[in-house]
Amino acid sequence: MAASKKKTKKSHTPATDADGRPLLYLAEYDTPADVMHAAEKVRDAGYSRWDVHTPFPVHGMDRAMGMPDSKVGWIVLAMGLTGCTTAFLLMWWTNGIDYELVIGGKPGFSIPSMIPVMFELTILLSAFGAVFGMFGLNQLPRHWHPVFFSDRFDRCSDDKFFISIEAADPEFDLADTRSLLEDTHPTNIELIQEEVAQ
Amino acid sequence: MSKPKKKSAAKGESPKASKKKAEAKSPTYRIPADSPWANAWKVAAAFGGIGLVASIFGMTSDPDRFAYSWLFAFMTFLAVGLGALFFVLAQHLTGAGWGVTLRRVSEFLMSGLPVFALLFVPVFFNMDRLYPWLEHGEHGEAHEEEHGDGEHGDGEHGDEHGEEAEHGSWLGLGDGTAQAQDPRDPWDMHPDEVAAQAAEHGAEEHGEHHDPEHQLHGEILESKNWFLSRGFFLVRMALYFALWIAMFWFYFSNSTRQDKEKGKLAITKRMELLAPVCTILFGVTLTGAAIDWTMSMEPSWYSTIFGVQYFAVSAVIAHAVIILITMGLRRSGLIGNAVHVEHFHDIGKLLHGFIIFWAYISFSQFMLIWYAGIPEESTYYHLRWWGGGGFLNLSVIMILAGFIVPFFILMSRNAKRNLPVLTFGAAWVAVMHIVQCYWLYMPYAEQTGLVATSLRLHWLDIASLLAVGGIYLAVVFWNMTRYPLIPVGDPRVERALHHEVV
Repeated sequence: MAASKKKTKKSHTPATDADGRPLLYLAEYDTPADVMHAAEKVRDAGYSRWDVHTPFPVHGMDRAMGMPDSKVGWIVLAMGLTGCTTAFLLMWWTNGIDYELVIGGKPGFSIPSMIPVMFELTILLSAFGAVFGMFGLNQLPRHWHPVFFSDRFDRCSDDKFFISIEAADPEFDLADTRSLLEDTHPTNIELIQEEVAQ
Repeated sequence: MSKPKKKSAAKGESPKASKKKAEAKSPTYRIPADSPWANAWKVAAAFGGIGLVASIFGMTSDPDRFAYSWLFAFMTFLAVGLGALFFVLAQHLTGAGWGVTLRRVSEFLMSGLPVFALLFVPVFFNMDRLYPWLEHGEHGEAHEEEHGDGEHGDGEHGDEHGEEAEHGSWLGLGDGTAQAQDPRDPWDMHPDEVAAQAAEHGAEEHGEHHDPEHQLHGEILESKNWFLSRGFFLVRMALYFALWIAMFWFYFSNSTRQDKEKGKLAITKRMELLAPVCTILFGVTLTGAAIDWTMSMEPSWYSTIFGVQYFAVSAVIAHAVIILITMGLRRSGLIGNAVHVEHFHDIGKLLHGFIIFWAYISFSQFMLIWYAGIPEESTYYHLRWWGGGGFLNLSVIMILAGFIVPFFILMSRNAKRNLPVLTFGAAWVAVMHIVQCYWLYMPYAEQTGLVATSLRLHWLDIASLLAVGGIYLAVVFWNMTRYPLIPVGDPRVERALHHEVV
């Protein structure tokens, strides 16, 4: 319990169950509309470390969750420009300045022959930026997460909709968070706690 | 926070979508008689009329320039009609739900296609000015008559070189003197190599025409005779227009009939069933038209990607014009919220994608020709690059303002979702489309020998643009007053109204 108090500054209420440190609240809903309205409430309550789990993309969820613009685009732009200039500088230096090879009767430094390479490297690094940037921003791969301890959560890939609020969130409070979630009319609320060795 | 309002939204859809639905239900999607759009076709027709009168005057005073100006204007606007046809076909081909509300504007743009059959008349009467192969073709036909089967007449043309040298200008190569005055290799890279190559060919025959490429090009043209002949050209022309008009009619009449027979699925099914065939026919006819009406202006030149190039041009301009017109209708409140930011975002993505596609294709064509440096292939770029001044600058402008600028304007997601920015980008693309077509067609009007020496904007260019554009848009705007502005009877229209990019 001491640990939990340190982590959660507003945790005045003791846990009902003495199993272990609370990790996460998991609220379950039947329809995408329910989970969307619930997400709006959680967003407005100012939570930051929380997520919505649905079996399929729900249109408008980004807005309901108050998600800011993805930063992936900026990563891709930076990577793309890096690729473009790297290719340019490499070819300009190697074949234009340092060691000119005449190929096809063209000058060493000729932009038309450099464009395909500049294009390819732009695309390559942009794609890397997009994929690995997405991984990084999503903190993937993640092999451990409290939601995995819930048996009900399996149905997230089938027909149920979930909202999870992590105990690590500064706004998290065992009683307040539960009452907030109860206000959103979930079909079930589950508190996931750390397992303690007996 | 407007939570209570949001909570009242119907279940199963986002609050914003349901709000949209409420708004979108109200308009009738028809142009009321007092709207400026109701009279747009008259304005367009007036401009068209002025342009037409001026063009007819120009036809008598400067028939050469008129021929090129008209073809330039014709191909500039034909690209809009064909691109719009492609958009409609692509919608049915993919069974897309998102673009249903955008489709009708595209159908209006496509509905101007039959007019181009009439607008082609001046091109038809000026074929001899525009298409140098005609002279050669006639010659070839005469030859055929003499020697029976023309296809086997290849061995004969050796005798003709003396004759060919006389009308050498149509080869786009100039005569020997012009060649001597301009000894530069097209790309100024290795003139020695080219000279050596030329000497090699020239060694076979030293006559008064010491231009060895003459022979080469003569042979190339001989081999194209079966294709580039007046009769076959006209048959193909008839075929293109027949197929385009048939496709326009099929899709336009079915789509507008569905407005009345609300939600009749069979019509959608029928349109989707024919979409693959029509797409193939569209690709073949567009490629053929690009080759016949544009590439054959320089008959010894060839580029296997040229049809794709013209397709890219059409796709880009059609998406830009669809955005501009839809945006205008939305501003006037005629389509309510039937087309909203989510649709504009999606079509903006397509526009951006096609700009990249266009640049990719254009560069692919250039790259191969530049790299090989074969004389008969280089003429196309040589014409536009080495004339000094005008078209060289225009070539650079095409790269910067035609690709780089719109690429960055439309790159960001926020830019595409910001309607004024998207409008600006689409307008920019539309202006650059005209510039590009000018770059494509007008060098032939300014051609001296191997190069286009000057870039002079002639009043006939403007007059032809007004004539063709005015007449075409008059038909488009007139059709807009006759039918609903979105396909209200499409079974997927509800889905399109609620379209949302995740």
